[in-house]
Amino acid sequence: MKRIFNAVITVLLIMLLNFMLFRVMPGDPAKLMTPHKPGVSDAVYWRNVEMMGLNDSWYEQIGNYYYQTFTLQWGISFKSEKPVVDEFSEAIGWTLLLLGTSTAITFAFGVWLGKIAAMRRGKTPDVTITGVGLFFYGMPVFWFSIVLLIIFVMYLHWFPVGQYIESGTAPFPLTLEKIKDIIWHMILPLTSLTVGSIAGVILIMRSSLIDVLTEDYIVTAYAKGLTEKQVLKRHASPNARLPIVTTFAMDTAFILGGAFQVEYVFSYQGIGWKTIDSIENQDYPMLQFIFLIGGIAVVIANLLADIVIYYLDPRVKIT
Amino acid sequence: MTMPMHEPRPPPRPNAQSTPKPQNKKQRFKFETALQNLTRRALTPISPVLAEKAALAAKGWGKTTDLFLKTWMGKVGTIIILIFLVIALYGTFVVPKYVYNPADGLLGPSWSHPFGTDHNGIDVLDRVMKGSLASLTIGFTAMAVSMILGAVVGLASGFWGGWRDEVIMRINDVFLSIPWLVLMIVIAAILNTQSIWAVILVIGLTGWSTTARIVRSQVLSLVSRQFVERAKAIGSGEWHIIRRHIFPNVVPLLFANAILTIAISILSESTLSFLGLGPQDVDTWGRILEDAYNQGSATIPSQNLFIIMPGLAIVIVVLGFTFIGYAMDEVMNPKLRKR
Repeated sequence: MKRIFNAVITVLLIMLLNFMLFRVMPGDPAKLMTPHKPGVSDAVYWRNVEMMGLNDSWYEQIGNYYYQTFTLQWGISFKSEKPVVDEFSEAIGWTLLLLGTSTAITFAFGVWLGKIAAMRRGKTPDVTITGVGLFFYGMPVFWFSIVLLIIFVMYLHWFPVGQYIESGTAPFPLTLEKIKDIIWHMILPLTSLTVGSIAGVILIMRSSLIDVLTEDYIVTAYAKGLTEKQVLKRHASPNARLPIVTTFAMDTAFILGGAFQVEYVFSYQGIGWKTIDSIENQDYPMLQFIFLIGGIAVVIANLLADIVIYYLDPRVKIT
Repeated sequence: MTMPMHEPRPPPRPNAQSTPKPQNKKQRFKFETALQNLTRRALTPISPVLAEKAALAAKGWGKTTDLFLKTWMGKVGTIIILIFLVIALYGTFVVPKYVYNPADGLLGPSWSHPFGTDHNGIDVLDRVMKGSLASLTIGFTAMAVSMILGAVVGLASGFWGGWRDEVIMRINDVFLSIPWLVLMIVIAAILNTQSIWAVILVIGLTGWSTTARIVRSQVLSLVSRQFVERAKAIGSGEWHIIRRHIFPNVVPLLFANAILTIAISILSESTLSFLGLGPQDVDTWGRILEDAYNQGSATIPSQNLFIIMPGLAIVIVVLGFTFIGYAMDEVMNPKLRKR
């Protein structure tokens, strides 16, 4: 219960930060919220002053912000002049598709490779896996995406460049042709995202398995005459897997960060692309909304991880 | 005593930590005695006790360094960083100032310009070498900012606990929850960062939360230890306990974390710069990448090195710091040590 209470507080604080970021910063917030476009009259500026309640006292402003957020008034995008929710829901599907696939691959392969590294600790497989893993881990994701672009698009012409589907075609209604095209467009961003985040999983799995392997009950298991495979499967892995769940939750923030670099380079029009686009167009309502949702997503992921851990590990008590 | 009667007691070994490799032993012996002598000579006039203490500390450090350099990650990482420090010095003091010559802009690789030239006709290799200093400086200073912040916050919340801990941890949760790269970009975009110091501040201010967590949990485990209780019992003040008992035990933990933070800070700077939010007064690797990307170097085969090389420099330096960080973790964390 305390966990949920804390999560709620965190969300409220994220909203507060979100509120402050766009108002306490130097400059006139109403000006910030007014599109820098020709043809935008002073009326818009004064409407913003009115809407944001800049003439009110600060506590009224904060109260008003919370009120607007809870009553689903999330503002209107400067760029498209549509409600930010509509803009957001257009893009979120593609990001979820990309992130979901990438996360699944990352965790499947990361756990497997981490196991190999831990079992052969200090030997060639371990050195190779951790070395190569760290090499990719330390890469700026955007740069790796560019390198992939140079190799596979520029030189080999294997993959199409940019966007999630051939430009000019609407993704819906889906046909087999289009699904093929979508997968085709997804391969490079997917590779980039997966390679960039897999090392984290490998390293966590490796170190937690190494930790578990030094426990007495593992020695006992070997002493009983079990093979390495059996020990790993029945005794070591279940316990070593627990930190992976927590990592997953912590990584959501990281994955979101990586996603927008990849989406930017490949012009894959998901949330990440939208973020950069909003920054370039100074589309603050859009940015504010993306920020809010991103924070809430991570909080929820953390909560879920705690619940999963609770079911996986009987020693853990939810407080 | 379980010692057999017929066997004479073995003579005390001169060095308890003898290693099988003789040349290695020799090296360490030299290193340690040099350090000990140095500290002894420096401190003897003040107090022999202090000198003894310092000599012991030097010995401890020597051992740790030795263990550290024995891991392959430690070796490779140290070599990489040393090479880049040399490159940074070379780039700062030897490489001549840039000559703007747009007529020679965007040349392909040649003998005089191994990586080609940029749009201003400046040699890309020169830029990458000169950029080392700026990128490393940002890495180190941003690390210092987030380490200090993280250590202070972690100490405060771990040591005093109670409502302060609750408040600090909730704020920390926020920083841990928000996709920090996005937060950084938003802050940078709103502040409209132009100078190197603004960028360092933005990176440092968004990167302290993990450190604070680590420090806090370490402090929590320290506060309940006997030596702290004892110090409290004989009437030591809070500051004294923090300074003499808590902080020294937090530092080793901070070390590995600090090194990894340098790597992350360099990466963050490159991302910010790539998006055009980086410092405008210094030439970092991130800015070279930004320039290259804006010149369309990714799509022009003869200019591919323009965009690949600065990125490669980032990758290798980050790899070096990551190796060092992990090797340190392995050495300082007794649970990870090989048995």
